[in-house]
Amino acid sequence: MTLEPLGRSLSDFTVELDVYSGPYEWLLALILKDELEIFEVPLRELVESYLLARQPDATNGLERDTDFAGSAAALVLLKSRTLSPAIDADTEGLEDEPLSPEELAERLTDYLKIRRAAEHLRDRFASNAGHYPSAHTIPPKQGRLGIKPDRVTLAARQAFSRLIEPPVRHLGPITVTLQELAGIIRTALAGGPISYESLTSDMDRMRTAVAFAAALSLAQEGNLMLAQAEPLGPLTLEPSG
Amino acid sequence: MRDPEGKLPSPRPTHLVEAVLLVSANPIGSSDLRSATGLSEQEMERALAALQERYAPETSGIVLREVAGGYLLSTNPACSGAVERFRKEARPTPLSGAANEVLACALYLGPLTRAAVSRVRGVNSDAVVRSLIERGLLIEVGSDRDAPGSPALLGVTDEFLAATGASSQKDFPPVDSLVAQEELERVRERLASSGPIPPDAGSEPS
Repeated sequence: MTLEPLGRSLSDFTVELDVYSGPYEWLLALILKDELEIFEVPLRELVESYLLARQPDATNGLERDTDFAGSAAALVLLKSRTLSPAIDADTEGLEDEPLSPEELAERLTDYLKIRRAAEHLRDRFASNAGHYPSAHTIPPKQGRLGIKPDRVTLAARQAFSRLIEPPVRHLGPITVTLQELAGIIRTALAGGPISYESLTSDMDRMRTAVAFAAALSLAQEGNLMLAQAEPLGPLTLEPSG
Repeated sequence: MRDPEGKLPSPRPTHLVEAVLLVSANPIGSSDLRSATGLSEQEMERALAALQERYAPETSGIVLREVAGGYLLSTNPACSGAVERFRKEARPTPLSGAANEVLACALYLGPLTRAAVSRVRGVNSDAVVRSLIERGLLIEVGSDRDAPGSPALLGVTDEFLAATGASSQKDFPPVDSLVAQEELERVRERLASSGPIPPDAGSEPS
């Protein structure tokens, strides 16, 4: 999610919200840096603030309106994405079914209760705000920390358990070695430079891969040089010196 | 004040409880208080009653609160302006409506999973849950072992109880009592008169 950079036309627009007070541009920056949760920002209040501060007669009035509309639309999109119901694979199919009025009434009833409970909580938070406890905090001592046995067991299991070895039965026996392919390359180079393609033309995939590894190993040891005119182009093996 | 022999007088039960409460930033339960002070249950009750009187909001800048299953000395909210100026801290911003709804879900329906919270609210609540966990108001209290992936179960914290002035979750009124029956009936009547409704039609406005 990106917001188009503003042309600084809104640099003097400040907002006063419960969750933030200051320049609008900083508000956008805080949201984009995840330092302020978008769901905490009341977009309706934001738009109302802009409408109050709107300057239609200003020389850049249209530019301001355009910038604000663009950024506000992006915020709406961002917030809607944040709040979109999570897709539950188990119930996805079921959710496609239209709800009967009874089912919807049940859901709305439950939600209404939670909503009223939330309002009750808001009042309780407000009436209990401003209580500051002692600033003195005692550091916990070793051996007096709250330790839950099941969490310790889980942590120990994760720390000491070995990963399950992957099954290798499907792999065939090893039929080729790096040394063997290195020997083949050395023999081929005795006749002068040779392309990797012709060197491996009659090899299977395993031998082709090991031949490449052997060529790299020999090149690292200075026993041959690898030449490639362009990336992914034909590779040529040349005797060194 | 020392006695003629230069010794400090033995502290009274009230003093002992007061001293322990002073150095704790979290509520202290009765048993912990008794354990620290060595007082009997009766002595403890008398000491706490005396302290409740001494630290009443009308007479002191410090108040004794009974919250989150324990006792906590806090500043009087009437003095909060001075405290905030001294600490150069603004009062924490009030929680959003979404955050209060998630806490209400955890309080009344919990412990429950993030998915259950989202289902009740009709919108994805993961970001709100994350924010509340960071604020110490919500905590993962276990996992739903019967559900695929054993998702974490969420519950409210002691910090939440202290912030709402509650001694325990039982201090909150039953959720059914918070909604007028007439309001629920109106919802049912309005929906009963309509046909099948798409599942996304009842989503909560943001």
